[in-house]
Amino acid sequence: MASTLLKKAILTNPQYLRKTVGVLCNGVRNHWNYQYKPGAYPKTPEERAAAAKKYGMTIEEYQPYPEEMGYGDYPKLPDIGADSRDPHYPYDNPEFKRNFNEPIHASAEIFGEDRYDPAMRPRFSVGRQWTWFLGVVGGSMALYFYLEDYKMGRPVTAKQYPGDGPHYLFASK
Amino acid sequence: MGQVMGSYGARNVDLYMDDKPSFEPQTGFSYERKQREMVAREEELVSARIPPQFRDYCSHKLLDYQVCRYKNMPMLYKCAHEKHDYLNCEHQDYVLRMKEFERERRLRVREQRLVGAA
Repeated sequence: MASTLLKKAILTNPQYLRKTVGVLCNGVRNHWNYQYKPGAYPKTPEERAAAAKKYGMTIEEYQPYPEEMGYGDYPKLPDIGADSRDPHYPYDNPEFKRNFNEPIHASAEIFGEDRYDPAMRPRFSVGRQWTWFLGVVGGSMALYFYLEDYKMGRPVTAKQYPGDGPHYLFASK
Repeated sequence: MGQVMGSYGARNVDLYMDDKPSFEPQTGFSYERKQREMVAREEELVSARIPPQFRDYCSHKLLDYQVCRYKNMPMLYKCAHEKHDYLNCEHQDYVLRMKEFERERRLRVREQRLVGAA
């Protein structure tokens, strides 16, 4: 059965076989786990130079993360949000404001245009934010504790259930 | 303001909504008070699956009302009188609780006055 199928594929549709082999080779050879993994932490100047070349950077601008962080030889790039990049530069990938072969920041997922920019100027200063937060929350709590002593309710006693013992009407027998 | 300030004046004698009366039932009465009687039996209420919070002194009217609803199911307007009876009974029950509250308040004020005089 399998041999018939294989023969049929090779003889009648060689394109199919080529595609299958291509997919399999791609899956086996370009496995992401070791392809995307950074190398070992560079200790000697030669290793540093090799790592800088690997990531397409000059030796002066290449700077790895501290060894204990576990990023290996991955370069420590400046924390620049996508919002702070020049919007008029003709990027290769304008949607990411990124050029081809440009090294990606280790925390690139947070520096996108839809996320965070460290250079962002907040609309309200931190002091103002804290003032409003503490004013609202503290004010509510102060009101709550002040009104603890002024509980109000309807002028009724507890509801009378037959099981709670004898209850009496306001009428004579 | 009657609803919101209802128990406000009773704060002076430490009396709040849904407190239990602390005096003997006969205190301050010149006559013997009539005892409230429960008409419906517990087994009936259990059998009709009336929830515990509704098993009060008016539950026999509630039973009548529910029986009427069961008998005339789509035509619920036929049970208007039963419902009215039940709600009137609940209203009288509430008035009794208000009276008990006022009695408790007055007795406490009186006790304070007597203690202060002594």
